[in-house]
Amino acid sequence: MNIDPQAFLYIHDLMRIATTPEEMRTAIERFLATLREQFVFDNVAVYIQDEKTNALDIVYARAVGRAKNAEADAAWGETFAGLVLANGKVLIQEPESTPVTDDRLRRAYLLGIPLNANGLIGGALIFVRFGGPAYEQEHIAVASLAAELLSILFERRAWRRTHSELHQLKLQMQLQEDFVSTISHELRTPLGFIKGYSTSLLRRDTSWDKETQQEFLTIIDEEADRLSLLIENVLESARLQSKTLPLRFQPLRLDAVLRDVVTRLRARYKDLNVNMDLLAAPPLQGDGVRVAQVFDNLFTNAIKYAPGSPITVVLRKVDDMLVVELSDQGPGIPKESLPLIFERFYRARSEKATGTGLGLFICKQIIDAHRGKIWAESTLGQGTTFIIELPINPVR
Amino acid sequence: MAKRILIVDDEPRYLRLLEANLRTEGYEVVTAQDGAQAVDVFSNQPIDLVLMDVMMPKLDGFGATQRIREFSSTPIIILTAKGDEQDRVRGLDLGADDYLVKPFSATELLARVRAVLRRAQPAGDVGGQSRFFTHDNLKIDFARAEVWKGETPVSLSATEYRLLLQFAHHMGKIMSSEELLTSVWGPEYRTDKEILWVSIARLRQKLEDDAHTPKHIVTRSGLGYLMPPIEE
Repeated sequence: MNIDPQAFLYIHDLMRIATTPEEMRTAIERFLATLREQFVFDNVAVYIQDEKTNALDIVYARAVGRAKNAEADAAWGETFAGLVLANGKVLIQEPESTPVTDDRLRRAYLLGIPLNANGLIGGALIFVRFGGPAYEQEHIAVASLAAELLSILFERRAWRRTHSELHQLKLQMQLQEDFVSTISHELRTPLGFIKGYSTSLLRRDTSWDKETQQEFLTIIDEEADRLSLLIENVLESARLQSKTLPLRFQPLRLDAVLRDVVTRLRARYKDLNVNMDLLAAPPLQGDGVRVAQVFDNLFTNAIKYAPGSPITVVLRKVDDMLVVELSDQGPGIPKESLPLIFERFYRARSEKATGTGLGLFICKQIIDAHRGKIWAESTLGQGTTFIIELPINPVR
Repeated sequence: MAKRILIVDDEPRYLRLLEANLRTEGYEVVTAQDGAQAVDVFSNQPIDLVLMDVMMPKLDGFGATQRIREFSSTPIIILTAKGDEQDRVRGLDLGADDYLVKPFSATELLARVRAVLRRAQPAGDVGGQSRFFTHDNLKIDFARAEVWKGETPVSLSATEYRLLLQFAHHMGKIMSSEELLTSVWGPEYRTDKEILWVSIARLRQKLEDDAHTPKHIVTRSGLGYLMPPIEE
């Protein structure tokens, strides 16, 4: 068999367009433009069945020939398309043999080919020639190939959509699963220490020296605290989630709250290096304990993830908002993680994090309850800034 | 002589807990904080027992157990979280001798250690297995999964390495295609001889001085392949 190299190249071009992922309209556009090099038509229309109603929808239509200026008056094969789909085979519709009119636009030659991709989509590809010529066998062959390729194009789009839906679903499930396994691992670790060290002290077959006893008891004490903090965090975030945690709003000076938080942290972290640039802010309506908790959490995160870095905190007033910016000069947060850090149970996966993945989630819930906004900006290698906007008078 | 126990955990407080209790019983204790370190420590001194955590950075407890089992039958007890039945089964399947569920009591830990040590052969007496395998100028370091041809390191794919291990572990024995395919690729590949041919050809390219007159992997027509025993 001889393959005409010209034809081969032509088919290759069509196939490449049909399988290159790009925007649907552009793909069809390019595809039909290439098709027209070998196959003449005036109008073309692509009808696809609506997934839910099964009704045919026009997804693409182009007038490239004699009906370019005919607007909606020329034939587009709307009814014919339904016929093609129902029959599931190539159909041709030609005008009466004797011309009753000179107007070519009223003498439409229709060619309809069903579009089908393994039941994923159904539709019809309709070509219109005004005033002929009639469709010959080889025209039909080319048009059928085009329809096959177009079906592939639609099929791929359907797959891509399904794929992205499944991917989203998987991410959600992953988050849930991560939570269950994280939370059980986090709860079990301190429990394991408490069990292990207390049963060590209870052993009858050995005696520990005073120093070791003290060491073990200290570990048990610390791990019991860690466990109780964890449980508190889990319960609190659940209550915030279900909006059953009552907030006590009262006039609040943010500069004073920030100074208090820093003073308390300095007692815990001797080397803490904080630069404060605080406006003597007008009081705003807020829950002092909860707002302090947010700042405490942000500072503790900076200390944990950007050890040794100076922390800068700025309080400004912008219109009727107070804006707090808290920056560190740590390693930064990767761009793709930034939108996720406020999600419940999200944790940086890299190093051995000891958190519950609840800290920033709780912060966001508290700021939301104040009708405020919290977000983060970060440059890898340079540091991270957390920004909080709080309205001075939250409308409740 | 005191038994030496290797404990592997990424939580310093678990290491301390295990070490303190084991020392009261007169055991010697060495520690590692991840699986890769564990394999290293293990292969550099005689060890009588390994206590291995599962969830660890770098190489996890399963990976380390598998690696150690390539060249040693020293008993391994894995430490798993409660309720992880799959983890326990997987650990035992990979060659662990027993498991201990976290949280555990100190007395249970010591009882398990005693029991496993009672059943075990003394260290060093493990049927001539060692970390290294040599066959003429071919050398395998099981602990690091590395292969050398003379002084030159050879880079093998994971499949090629597993295939080579089959020959090394059964030196002198003729292995049929079915046997090799089943153990390296899985039973569903039992009859897929061509992938075996290609893999053996590739192994020979990498390992033999002359791939046409192989010394390491020899064909026995109609029977299979073998790594011939080295004449002393």
